Amino acid sequence: MEPQLSWYLALSAVLFTIGAVGVIVKRNVIAMFMCIELMLNAVNLTFVAFSSFFQDVSGQLFVFIVMTVAAAEAAVGLGIIITIFRNRESLDVDEASILKL
Amino acid sequence: MNSLLFIIFAGMAIGCAISMISQRNPLYSAISLIGVFIALASLYVTLAAPFIAAVQVIVYAGAIMVLVIFVIMLLNVEQSEPRRQRLRFLVPLAVGMAAVLIAETAFILYSVQTSNTKLPGNISNVGLTSSIGEGLFTGYLLPFEITSVLLLMAIVGAMSLARRTEVLSSTARVVPGAQVLAMDIARPRGVEDLRPAIAQTSDDVASQMGVAFQSERTRSSQEDEA
Repeated sequence: MEPQLSWYLALSAVLFTIGAVGVIVKRNVIAMFMCIELMLNAVNLTFVAFSSFFQDVSGQLFVFIVMTVAAAEAAVGLGIIITIFRNRESLDVDEASILKL
Repeated sequence: MNSLLFIIFAGMAIGCAISMISQRNPLYSAISLIGVFIALASLYVTLAAPFIAAVQVIVYAGAIMVLVIFVIMLLNVEQSEPRRQRLRFLVPLAVGMAAVLIAETAFILYSVQTSNTKLPGNISNVGLTSSIGEGLFTGYLLPFEITSVLLLMAIVGAMSLARRTEVLSSTARVVPGAQVLAMDIARPRGVEDLRPAIAQTSDDVASQMGVAFQSERTRSSQEDEA
């Protein structure tokens, strides 16, 4: 029995849900950041699955662009995390609930 | 065979993801996330997308996670403290909303189950590097260029965020006792004066420098008189 398209979509939904739960539950900024990366990867899996099952290269091009966005997000997000830590000596998001460094 | 591979790597991905959000130490979370990335790269290989699989390992598991682990070790974060009590109601709420999301997804998958799509055979060249490059430089040239602008913005933003800003100008003098004054403001002639101020208290230094200075002691005594 070959894997169906729905299997990949279900796996992607599960991974996305785990990432979303992590963003809601976690208090550490770095852990929330990694959960966002997990959600991006779940979407990437959907793109690649559709691209492979429908024989269209566009999905993989979008995955490429999503990876670029993730890399840019990593650079800027980690810069923000370092700035917050420098100002507050803490990585707890509740400490930084006001949009002011 | 493909089903077996799918089950192995999907189980690895879900297990590593659950391990990621259940760890307290961010370093263990990062290592679990690398496991998720490797499992997804293996799934991409079974989906006949070798280029994306290679980029996944190189960019995600290589570059991004090394950056994250570098920041974790740079900040030297201790294990996160036990969760505080006041937002506790959010946890069952999050679980309930996740259940709703999963139910919605299951319903959608159940209702589109009728479309029978099959894995491509070996004749496909969709996932090859050459076809991806062809697509990037023909139909998707504009998004590709916008991506380069995005990377430039990310470089500039990260540099301006992580740079240490200068708090004091080079002409500033520090008066002992929690006040920072620029000598240009205090003495507008602005003659460079490098003589050391020899005194016992902040008030003496302030009077030697010709600066109005109110220490905590004098201020509190004035308030007492008032």
